[in-house]
Amino acid sequence: MKAAPFEYVKPATVDEALQALEDHLGMARVLAGGQSLLPMLGMRLMRPSALVDINGLAGELGRIEARGSETVVGALVRYATIESSPVVSERLPLLQHIVQYIGDRQVRNRGTIGGALAQADPTGEMALACLVLDATIVARTTQGERDIPAADFFAGSYASVLEPEELLVAVRFPLAPDHCRFFERGRKHNDFAVLSVAVAASRGAEGRWEGVRIGLGGVNDRPLLAEAAAAALEGRTWDDATIDAAAALAMEVVDAPDDVRAGAAYREHLVPIHVRRLLRELAQGEQR
Amino acid sequence: MNEHIDITVTVNGEVHEQRVEARTHAADFLRHQLGLTGTHVGCEQGVCGMCTILVDGQAIKSCLMLAAQLDGAEVETVESLAVDDRLDPLQQAFKDEHALQCGFCTPGFLMTATALAREGRRLGRDEIRQELAGVLCRCTGYDHIVDAVEHHLDATAEARADG
Ligand SMILES: Cc1cc2nc3c(=O)[nH]c(=O)nc-3n(C[C@H](O)[C@H](O)[C@H](O)COP(=O)(O)OP(=O)(O)OC[C@H]3O[C@@H](n4cnc5c(N)ncnc54)[C@H](O)[C@@H]3O)c2cc1C
Ligand code: FES
Ligand code: FES
Repeated sequence: MKAAPFEYVKPATVDEALQALEDHLGMARVLAGGQSLLPMLGMRLMRPSALVDINGLAGELGRIEARGSETVVGALVRYATIESSPVVSERLPLLQHIVQYIGDRQVRNRGTIGGALAQADPTGEMALACLVLDATIVARTTQGERDIPAADFFAGSYASVLEPEELLVAVRFPLAPDHCRFFERGRKHNDFAVLSVAVAASRGAEGRWEGVRIGLGGVNDRPLLAEAAAAALEGRTWDDATIDAAAALAMEVVDAPDDVRAGAAYREHLVPIHVRRLLRELAQGEQR
Repeated sequence: MNEHIDITVTVNGEVHEQRVEARTHAADFLRHQLGLTGTHVGCEQGVCGMCTILVDGQAIKSCLMLAAQLDGAEVETVESLAVDDRLDPLQQAFKDEHALQCGFCTPGFLMTATALAREGRRLGRDEIRQELAGVLCRCTGYDHIVDAVEHHLDATAEARADG
């Protein structure tokens, strides 16, 4: 469990970090909270030539800002900060609620939102929150910046569309829907999820639901949105039949893995049950 | 190549200037370079919590931090708790409540609970279990550990209220 040798680079500014990533020609890795990277290095699942430690960049990357209807969360914002932030609690209650399902106290003291997204764990809670909250991920290189919608960010198992010399700098959240729900089934609390489901929607005129989004974790090689299911619910009032139909449609995006945590059949069994449950809870109107 | 880094770190109040290998994690640095073997190493992949220490007051797993990242930091390990032969109140609570058997996990629990106690809050048993969930114990079944931490948090909160 000892990492192979690498060079340690500690930039003092984001520009220096971008330069270091470019200089290493895609062979360097960003070190944020280290809660996924250091275990991977210890197991020698990767051998980067250098680690670019961004922990000194909290001034540029560690802030949570309310900008009009938008909330901007810097890449280096730690789980523990999200847990206790009044801005997040007021504007993004789902994000705050979801954080308590991640890891344990020590992991939450170090792990960052940027690291969680770049890690692209198919069961990642942060990824799921960003999908259903319709977040935009901001990535930067020495050449400039680009915006990536969360729905286009995850490229496969533990893979994102980030280029190796690209730094995730922030996550932008639009105004959150009024109603959000989250459920997770794990082998134990604090462990990676077997299945996670998040739903979000707002109530429009005459009780019709708008902006419906349903996110699923742990049921494919990446966290994703069940778009057909959401479309079946959009602009309508919901009764049991609409909800049942949507829960069945959610299965369209499921291609569940068999792994140490659970079999594919069990995961598939859980999906419609919990999608249905969350939608019913939402329809019954309790807010979270 | 910067495979070695010079760091200045304060460990349990003592300032150390050391040269560390970039790939060395903080737990190995404390144990092998400073000889502070109270910090235990179990899994080296962030799962067991044996290696928990405080960095700038926060409980973290020292196998998931590089020694190089300790530059400029204030570190506290389990060695900071007892003064000479006198146990600190949390350690005494562990003793009184029989919160250890083999003791391998104890430094991890003590440091996690030390950070928790500094918040000065009383917590319910479920909340205490949540806060301690990052440290595993294979002997005790946890009940006595929760007892010890519960009593210690209550005593700390009471002492604060008394001013
Ligand atoms: C015991 C334990 C339990 C855990 N439980 C959970 C859980 O229940 N749910 C969950 O989702 N996760 C869990 N995790 C993983 C944890 O959430 C990690 O913190 C997170 O996945 C990575 O964030 P980090 O800041 O630690 O990133 P790091 O480990 O530093 O980096 C992870 C990856 O992202 C890259 N990266 C980091 N920041 C950036 C950036 N700004 N730009 C570009 N690339 C970047 C790194 O190069 C690396 O490839 C657990 C970890 C442990 C040790
Ligand atoms: S040795 Fe660090 S968590 Fe197990
Ligand atoms: S007392 Fe033996 S592992 Fe906890």
